[in-house]
Amino acid sequence: MSDASLRTPFPQRAHAALEDAHLQEALGIATTKFIGLRKESFAGFPEGEALRDRARAIKEGTLQQLDRHLERLADNIERLGGHVHWAATGEEARDIVLRLCRDKGVRMAVKSKSMATEEIELNEALEAAGVKPVETDLGEYIIQLAHEKPSHIIAPAIHKTKGQVADLFSKELGGRFEADPEVLTAVARKELRQKFLDADMGITGANFAVAETGTIVLVTNEGNGRMVTSLPRIHVAVMGMEKVIPTMTDLMVFLAILARSATGQKLSSYTTLVRGPRQAGETEGPEELHLILMDNGRTRQIAGTLREALYCLRCGACLNVCPVYRQIGGHAYGYTYPGPIGILLTAMLKGAASVKDLAHASSLCGACKDVCPVRIDIPRMLVDLREQLDREKIAPWAERMVFRLARRTMTSPALFRLGASLGRVAQRPFVRNSRLRRLPFFLGKWTRTRDLPPVASRTFSECWKDLERP
Amino acid sequence: MTSRAEFLGSIRREMARTRGLFEARPVPRPADAGQAAEVVRHQMLERWPQALERFREEFERVAGVFHRVANIGEVPGVIRRIAQERQAQSVLSWDPEALGLDLRQSLGQEGLAVTVAPDRDPDVATRAMHRDAAARAEIGVTGVDWALAETGTLVLVSGRGRPRSTSLLPATHVAVFGHDRLVESLEQVGVMLEALHADPARGMSGAVINFITGPSRTADIELTLTRGVHGPKDVHAIFVETR
Repeated sequence: MSDASLRTPFPQRAHAALEDAHLQEALGIATTKFIGLRKESFAGFPEGEALRDRARAIKEGTLQQLDRHLERLADNIERLGGHVHWAATGEEARDIVLRLCRDKGVRMAVKSKSMATEEIELNEALEAAGVKPVETDLGEYIIQLAHEKPSHIIAPAIHKTKGQVADLFSKELGGRFEADPEVLTAVARKELRQKFLDADMGITGANFAVAETGTIVLVTNEGNGRMVTSLPRIHVAVMGMEKVIPTMTDLMVFLAILARSATGQKLSSYTTLVRGPRQAGETEGPEELHLILMDNGRTRQIAGTLREALYCLRCGACLNVCPVYRQIGGHAYGYTYPGPIGILLTAMLKGAASVKDLAHASSLCGACKDVCPVRIDIPRMLVDLREQLDREKIAPWAERMVFRLARRTMTSPALFRLGASLGRVAQRPFVRNSRLRRLPFFLGKWTRTRDLPPVASRTFSECWKDLERP
Repeated sequence: MTSRAEFLGSIRREMARTRGLFEARPVPRPADAGQAAEVVRHQMLERWPQALERFREEFERVAGVFHRVANIGEVPGVIRRIAQERQAQSVLSWDPEALGLDLRQSLGQEGLAVTVAPDRDPDVATRAMHRDAAARAEIGVTGVDWALAETGTLVLVSGRGRPRSTSLLPATHVAVFGHDRLVESLEQVGVMLEALHADPARGMSGAVINFITGPSRTADIELTLTRGVHGPKDVHAIFVETR
């Protein structure tokens, strides 16, 4: 994400999103629709719950032998004529792509949607190196033309209206296009078809990689994943190392729940299994295939508090159900990965300090955990993260003191009683119509948008004592 | 540059810190993939009629167009009608041996330009020519390796004489298959794929396996479902009763 947007603090970014009437409407419609589609698709699929358990077990099991699975994957890809690169950091992953571009004389690269390349800001790096990156997923293409960032993991341009897209296409591509999704899609098809045929390199992410067969798996609806892995002479896949799974049998378990969780489809239109470059006898396919295995902060979490976030399939289901995401949308989070899982992934990639505000952008309601296809315990990790921010003194001093005081008070009956008595006196100037309003100092943030019930004239335990008496 | 040894070394160091904390749960899989695949094929000999019904239902649900013909000789007629509807002039097809049908004779005589995929190791010039033809073609005709009933999915394995773009570049994709291609579940496809990779001799020659579930689609503009964004707008499946 560009520094400009992060210079504004999170509360302001969130406020701006809340005041954007159009964004509010688009978010409401999109997230509600996705929730409905997901629900419907799992309702007619009783075996889904058991498959989710199995999928989670596969992720757990893979992580326990991650080194072996990665070795196996790399050996198989090399056996099939592909190349494997190991990138400890995002910067290194970027440099590998840039070096390939330089060595192979690449001038244009077509890309299918990939969060991993968003994560390392590959497009900016390619542009700076004189290589033209072209996003080919329709949503990504729209936001690339608009010089914006994706606002949703699987629907990157949900914040734009068809009118805005028509204006954008008219301005950027020359012409006058009707604000009709059908027309606009046809325009993009024509424009991008030529790019697929002309490009030197195709860049993808990977939804999965099957270790035992050396297969890179791409799941798309538009067919752009197939285009970029078939037409250009070089295919480069950038993959977070945790995407490896052991076998084809395992892959089927994930395929059965991934699209259902993301869009409510039984399967996405295209699931593409790529093993190696063009094989002998084939008419098509790239001459070279490169897989870049990327760490970028992931290894640290194998034994860390965010370990479970390594199970994430990037389906976006947790975004749609999150009461915070539904209000503020993806941009306000300020980083590549939005939503509840995005907070954890950001902490993983950029360190806990980068999410000192975002860690609190959750009501801990647990809706994310309920819909997660691999049942990632996001709320628990958010609490762990908040605890870490406190322990490592990253949270502001006042916040840490207030919570420390609260803990002391709550865990000691004597202090609790004293607190209640003091509170009864101290609150007097602020109680109006039996509500606490407009608390002073920083406490005022609490009462700015809601009233608090005052401390009762008699506490529950005092009442209880009376009742116990015969 | 990070080496493979360094990369894996740091993973191993972290893994060592978690030893004993998480239980290992291996996921069950067929012991002998070839034998398991044989079992599935045997089951489907009896169950294919139900599977076909389910396939049709699911395929139509994802906007596929289903056709059923008595024998392979009727397939060109169906393609001709599709071409007329689409006002298409050009047809691209898998190699006749891979498809089980030579469209050049039947459709070529009726004024349709038919291009078939090269059947042996194509040189650079042949490949470039075929790519141009594929980019121009309006209808692509392929076979099917597995027709998956529970999702209405066509599974296609690329290879010699079976280019991957035949089902991608033309605006209309027509897939032809018989009852021996039907499977019921993703799990069964998993068994078939395990077998395909386990037996290097009978294994796949090509690099790509595509699961195709309906036409290319997007909902990226205001969540309005639109077909044919990069791949085909229309997908037809022709079921052939007897070869």
